[in-house]
Amino acid sequence: MVLSGYEALFFWIFALAAIFAALLTVMARNAVHSALFLISSLVSVAALFVLSGAEFIAGVQILVYVGGVMVLFLFVIMLVNVGAEEMGREEIFNKQKQVTASLIFCLLLVGGVLYAVSQGYPALQAAQTNKRTPEKMAADQAERDRSLAVGATGTSRITADTELVGGSLYRYASLPFEIASVLLLVAIIGSVMLARTLKQEVSADDVDPETLQEELALDPELAKLEPRVE
Amino acid sequence: MLLLAPVDVLNDLLLRFFSDETVKYFIWPLIQIGLVVTLVALWVAYATYLERKISAFIQARLGPMRVGPWGLLQPIADGLKLLTKEDFIPEKADRWIFFFAPYIAVASAFIVFSVIPFGPDWAVIADVNIGLLLVLAVSSVGVLALILAGWSSNSKYALLGGLRSSAQMVSYEVAMGLSLIGALMFARTLSLSGIVGAQGSDSIWYILYQPAGFLMFLISGIAENNRAPFDLPEAESELVAGFHTEYSGMRWSLFFMAEYAAMVVVTAVATTVYLGGWYFPFVYRLEESGYHNLYVLVSVLVFLVKASIILYIYFWLRWTLPRFRYDQLMDIGWKWLIPSALINIVLSAFAVFVLQALNGWRGIQTIEGLDRGMNLTATGKGIMIAFGLAGLFITGVLLARINWRSRDFNLKTQRRNIRLVNVPKGKPARA
Repeated sequence: MVLSGYEALFFWIFALAAIFAALLTVMARNAVHSALFLISSLVSVAALFVLSGAEFIAGVQILVYVGGVMVLFLFVIMLVNVGAEEMGREEIFNKQKQVTASLIFCLLLVGGVLYAVSQGYPALQAAQTNKRTPEKMAADQAERDRSLAVGATGTSRITADTELVGGSLYRYASLPFEIASVLLLVAIIGSVMLARTLKQEVSADDVDPETLQEELALDPELAKLEPRVE
Repeated sequence: MLLLAPVDVLNDLLLRFFSDETVKYFIWPLIQIGLVVTLVALWVAYATYLERKISAFIQARLGPMRVGPWGLLQPIADGLKLLTKEDFIPEKADRWIFFFAPYIAVASAFIVFSVIPFGPDWAVIADVNIGLLLVLAVSSVGVLALILAGWSSNSKYALLGGLRSSAQMVSYEVAMGLSLIGALMFARTLSLSGIVGAQGSDSIWYILYQPAGFLMFLISGIAENNRAPFDLPEAESELVAGFHTEYSGMRWSLFFMAEYAAMVVVTAVATTVYLGGWYFPFVYRLEESGYHNLYVLVSVLVFLVKASIILYIYFWLRWTLPRFRYDQLMDIGWKWLIPSALINIVLSAFAVFVLQALNGWRGIQTIEGLDRGMNLTATGKGIMIAFGLAGLFITGVLLARINWRSRDFNLKTQRRNIRLVNVPKGKPARA
């Protein structure tokens, strides 16, 4: 996909915004500020999806990540006490092991991207010199656009991405889709079960009587937590 | 049509100064956006007036009467008062987030209007393929504003309000999205103009096919807007004012505006998806007789009237129902609305399957075409409406059965009563 004009301008704006927001996510002292910068980064990436013609992914990104996941992140952050880091007394970048590890991974990532680009660029060049000139590509794009339905405003056309995503997801990938949803369900139930401790269960009278007797033999303190029967 | 000639005159005038493309893709959209923002702001202002009037009538009072005839200028007086009030920021507040939260609320409510089709032709700002998804996505960002406002105020009431709002909105968002899917099966597109077009070309409102879906959407929409009877995030009697306790002046009124704008958004989406949008029988005759601009204007009026009727239901419910308890709120969301939305999806898919199976069987014709939504013949419509009404009944019975004594069917009873063969009993984690 060749970006030009306003598209290129917006690409650079959102790409830089995504990178700087991601950087600030790591560098902010306050956990809530970090979460906010992460949200900005996610929104910028959604804008990049729109620019590359994947509106559906962009919509889902905002709906799921910004509207769902990040809200729960904030929910958790607000309930957790954040200590010295927030007050600004402690240095953030003084832990050498962590900083070194992240730098190594950063270098690996940059190397990987550079390698992929240098591998892909000659092929792109060859393809363009052979048959896919920018004019040809623009003509192809215009041809594809003409086949799409005209929108209600009369000036734009309605893309068919969402239908394509839905069709291929349910026709060719329905089994992986179902497996993924079952996995998520198991994860939800598992996390609920893991998060409840014995003390909480005893105080909510949720423990099996036999198990409770066994546990009481180990830890007599638990008897204090037992709810009184009225 | 002399009254509406200015639109064409303005177009000609603009074409004299700018190129054809600039006018078409840049200047007209800007004019449309300006108009919509102004009109929606006015609508929101007068929604507060209507709220006060309707509440007054419900409580056998007169409501605002002093400013202007019947108090009609009250919203303007209120706005001026709020503008001149002190904008106070608490000392221990997180200044930046406290500053930005109201803007997030207003922006997320107003951005949605960019894809709402108020009418045909020039009454639409943008028609995108992900219209409905965009509406859901952007309005789900609104919850961030409430949480951030609640947290940044550094006050216990505000924080509790923020926590409640996040839990409530995250749970009801799911039901809201799922309840729309039934209607989408008939529209076959996510574009809001496309959904209106599908209903128009089929001469039907989807509320007839999807009465259960409409009810679920409305209930979860009211909960999503934090309106009474679901107004726990700002419950006055427990939390002072919830997440906006510490806000004052213009910033407080921005939250108020966002709340009403979000209400208008839900009514507009409900109108578009279930009540046929701007489509109304016989209005298209105006277009046939050549009064194009009048046709658009009447269509916009039809849309506004339909949305206002749903808005009235909002006010009506707020002033006649008491607030739910928190556990009741979560019960309605997770035990009633989400399962009923899932049942609705299965039933709608089954209905569509039956229609397709019946089509062509013993000379019965049910489907006319699939190019603009699902166009049904009179027989098909009858079957669908019957399915819709039966769906209400089936959903109700199924849910009543599932939730019958659901409070007794909890973790404890499951642990004690369900014995799996050869599986050791699970022990809870020690802490």
